[in-house]
Amino acid sequence: MKPRSQAILVGIFAFAFLFAKKVPVSAGTPDHWAFRPLSISTTRTPAIDDFLLAALTKQNLKPAPQAPWSTLLRRLYFSVTGLPPTPAEMRSFLESPSLAKYEAVVDKLLAAPGYGERFGQHWLDVIRYAESEGFEYDRHLPDGWRFRDYVIQSFNDDLPFDVFIREQIAGDESESPTRQALVAAGFHRLGPVRRNAGNPDVALSRNEVLTERTDIIGPAILGLSIGCARCHDHKLEPVSQRDYYQLEAYFAATTEHNVVIASDAEQRRHQAATQAVQEQIAPLKKSLTQATGDRKKTLAAEIRKFEEQLPPDLPTITSIRNAETNRTPIHILNRGVWEQKGDAVGMRPPSALVPDELAELPADTPHPRTRLAEWLTSPDNPLTARVIVNRVWQHHFGTGLVKTANDFGRNGDRPSHPELLDHLAQTLIRNGWHLKPLHRMILLSAAYRRDSSLDRPDAARIDPENRLLWRGPRRRLSAEELRDSMLMISGRLNPKAGGPGVMVPVDEELIALLYKPAQWSVTPDPSEHDRRSIYLVAKRNLRLPFLEVFDQPPPINSCARRESGTHAPQALELLNGRLANDLAKAFAARLQHDAGPDSGARVERAFLLATGRPPNDEERRLSAEFLANGSLREFALAVFNLNDFLHVH
Amino acid sequence: MSTESPQSRSIPNRRAFFRNSFGGFSSLALASLLERDRLSAAPAGPLSPRPSHAAGKAKSVIFLFMAGGPSHLETFDPKPLLNRLDGQPRPAEFGEARYQFIQRDARLLGSARSFQKHGQSGIEVSDLFPHVARCIDDIAVVRSCHCDQVVHSAAQYELMTGRVVPGFPSMGSWTIYGLGSESGSLPSYVVMPDPKGALEAGQPMYTNGFLPSNFQPTMFRPGRRPILNLDLPPGVTGAERRRTIDLIRRLNESTLKPGDDAFAARISTYELAFRMQTEAPEIFDLSNERPETLALYGIDRQPTDDYGRRCLQARKLVENGVRFVCVVSGGGPGNMQWDAHADIEENHIRKARETDQPIAALLRDLKQRGLLDSTLVLWGGEFGRSPEAQSGKGRDHHNLGFSMWMAGGGIRGGQIVGATDPIGLRAVERPCHFRDIHTTLLHQLGLDQNRLSFPHLGRQERLTFLEGQVIREIT
Repeated sequence: MKPRSQAILVGIFAFAFLFAKKVPVSAGTPDHWAFRPLSISTTRTPAIDDFLLAALTKQNLKPAPQAPWSTLLRRLYFSVTGLPPTPAEMRSFLESPSLAKYEAVVDKLLAAPGYGERFGQHWLDVIRYAESEGFEYDRHLPDGWRFRDYVIQSFNDDLPFDVFIREQIAGDESESPTRQALVAAGFHRLGPVRRNAGNPDVALSRNEVLTERTDIIGPAILGLSIGCARCHDHKLEPVSQRDYYQLEAYFAATTEHNVVIASDAEQRRHQAATQAVQEQIAPLKKSLTQATGDRKKTLAAEIRKFEEQLPPDLPTITSIRNAETNRTPIHILNRGVWEQKGDAVGMRPPSALVPDELAELPADTPHPRTRLAEWLTSPDNPLTARVIVNRVWQHHFGTGLVKTANDFGRNGDRPSHPELLDHLAQTLIRNGWHLKPLHRMILLSAAYRRDSSLDRPDAARIDPENRLLWRGPRRRLSAEELRDSMLMISGRLNPKAGGPGVMVPVDEELIALLYKPAQWSVTPDPSEHDRRSIYLVAKRNLRLPFLEVFDQPPPINSCARRESGTHAPQALELLNGRLANDLAKAFAARLQHDAGPDSGARVERAFLLATGRPPNDEERRLSAEFLANGSLREFALAVFNLNDFLHVH
Repeated sequence: MSTESPQSRSIPNRRAFFRNSFGGFSSLALASLLERDRLSAAPAGPLSPRPSHAAGKAKSVIFLFMAGGPSHLETFDPKPLLNRLDGQPRPAEFGEARYQFIQRDARLLGSARSFQKHGQSGIEVSDLFPHVARCIDDIAVVRSCHCDQVVHSAAQYELMTGRVVPGFPSMGSWTIYGLGSESGSLPSYVVMPDPKGALEAGQPMYTNGFLPSNFQPTMFRPGRRPILNLDLPPGVTGAERRRTIDLIRRLNESTLKPGDDAFAARISTYELAFRMQTEAPEIFDLSNERPETLALYGIDRQPTDDYGRRCLQARKLVENGVRFVCVVSGGGPGNMQWDAHADIEENHIRKARETDQPIAALLRDLKQRGLLDSTLVLWGGEFGRSPEAQSGKGRDHHNLGFSMWMAGGGIRGGQIVGATDPIGLRAVERPCHFRDIHTTLLHQLGLDQNRLSFPHLGRQERLTFLEGQVIREIT
């Protein structure tokens, strides 16, 4: 171990010792690493690699050398933007590659809109974002996409993460909330909501909504599973039922609020226009109830015609507000059943994370969610920072320092490098909770830049999972990256950012599976269909088969980390699917255009676009042989199926 | 409680891995597979056949899902007293019930159906099901089912996943998670929705939830080629595509490093995909079936053609090693399901005519082929229907007492389990919750509800939320 690391460790221990004495910790607080305060490294700032090398040296592991520049550049582009570098970008870098130039690319990419579009998707996974409510009606949130744009914009602007959390938790509670803050507070509207016809069980529905809003806080922000404590004290974590309902109490007054963003005059005009059409429809609807046969059809057609004349909905923000008069009294519920009310509770963070003497806030405390947000992002809570730095780490390395990114509890994984995790968390806070410097630090580390090749049996034997990061990351593209890259290398990607969720054409059979097929109305402008996947509508009851088969998670539960399956339906999708074949044609046309009539030049171009490298001799030979009497379109399709296209090395 | 995951269960050989087609493996499994390979044991996918926890009698399940909620009062649970009380309010001694639509002042509605004893067992079945009635000695009727929800979506989630909210794995996904697949060129878990339309809970009720995507259902689509992307795109010939797949393989092999199992696995999926393209359609092609078989299922005749085809396909699927098949009756607007709010007679006569003969044909066909012993057939909906009338002659949703039945897969038929009270309101004798149905189903497959679990958000989740009980009388 290097002397510097030793010094750090001494510092950590010394600090932990002092800290443990100073801060009164709940008597019941279990001795669990994640609940302890952040340890502080010495004043001298060590680099990420110092921590990693110490652990590698201990295991006698020699780290892999740096990956070839072309491999590294492709890795970097996907890591930050989710798209491959263009051949021109590759060329200009490879003319005279250097670490300084690499650093400049890191900065360029972190400043590009693609950064928010890629890292934003991860946050949307974590908070199970969707624009529709799921269940039977799968109702669409009014302009629900504004929340997605808020997330992308916030990451691109490098909004401090603590502010980002505060806006989502309590953006609506400020004196005169900005539009951005109201959109952010739409966070609480993102969970599935059950709506029913008939005798609605108001209290039951309210309980379901409160449960949904409480449960997500645990895994998404605290990295703590708390949902189990709804019905009984958590068996594995120090979270009691009381803790659960005290957390729920912060949401007791939270109710849906759709904010129309139009002037009063506009709203009046809209209302008048709507009413005029409705007045025409009303008598027709009345007749329809008694009509039969052809008369019924004619009437229905007439009604549809009038409905098309209804003015488009006014711009709206899906948000929330506190309805104090309608506050739900929060009780501990026996087995989570809302009829079985136990003690009434007020607000308090989970007891394992706060000192015993911290009093519960009364149920009528004003701005309750602001209080929650303040605690979530305060230095007294060690989890929020630890959890987000671990997510950023996972984003680039494929696996977090804590493997279970949503579960830092006793049941979760232990960190592979605890000091590093705390160092990163401290650094984040010191940097004013800006995430971009953290990304930058990771991307510049030697660990991130290492070669990813697996053929090091010695190292693989000692550390098969690469927890110590003796080699660089290798991963399959995510569903969205794959679709976006296919669009990009085919020359079809529409880079437009923001705006309403796009509905692409899908098979009739899929639409027929919707309870309300009319909900799927294909976006008329076909160039919209070629936009990045994050801008496609996120509808709970209709997911695109292409994205689903490549492991896009269902937006029902928080997803901490994408699965990366390998199965035959994926091959079928890339061989026979509509998107693959459609884009193979476009890709072939582009190769023809870019490289001219020479088939050798087309092959070079295809490999460069798709894999970021020229073909090897064998690939050249096989491709030439194929193209001698095979179609360029089939060749283009084959390129979509290359392991080296589907993966980042 | 022991924890099992696909990657921790041992699988015999490498061939088993490559045999498994719709399976493959996930990143989750990858690390341990790689590790295991290095220790010179061969890797295998999570969908390779796996030993069950105990010797199970059933190898496959066919769930005949009567969506919308068929009435127990018109089918398997005769209530003479209800007929006598027709038009009267519910006597207080039967207690309270909560319905979706109808109010407290609703009047009881007698049933117009007539019931007769059938078979050796003499179990009463209504005249809606003359064909199924002839198979009654193979059937165990559970008259005392109950569940927690009285609205479609939540009840459908509970029926399929054991939870009243979406996001949990369905019983089909749990089954293939537990047992793997025995088919090389077919998906292991198939859902055949009703072509007439969707259901309230939508596709999430059938899915793998938080289980890895290898355990997802394959949704069949109506028509001749039910599996997505099995057809070549227009204008591409089989020979042309064969060349393309060969090119893909050779290109990928040219960069394959020794010991790179993940990439080798991806290469192998293309062969499997190609094989599926040629072999799977044979299952869907009914033109080679004997005319007697088609006639038995009511195929090419209305109103049985559609459900008959799907039941026959279900038989062919389990015959070829598919583990779990769900054949849905009902889809689209309520009255196209068993959701008889307006007129119980009109709705149930129509739905019964569509399904009665095909279901009986399925049972007889399975039996003839010696498959019934290893195939558990489950019949039922997400709830039953109210003893009270809705809008005069309809019935509302009802979750406190209703009927389901099981046959085959080691179930001892010709039996009745449990009973509802004399007006069919509440399961009063040997109540069986959905969790007991789930537990019994797993038990017949040789799976233990406590050992078949998966870590999710801090809990070791399983199909049953609260522990269910095996319905011992019929196993």
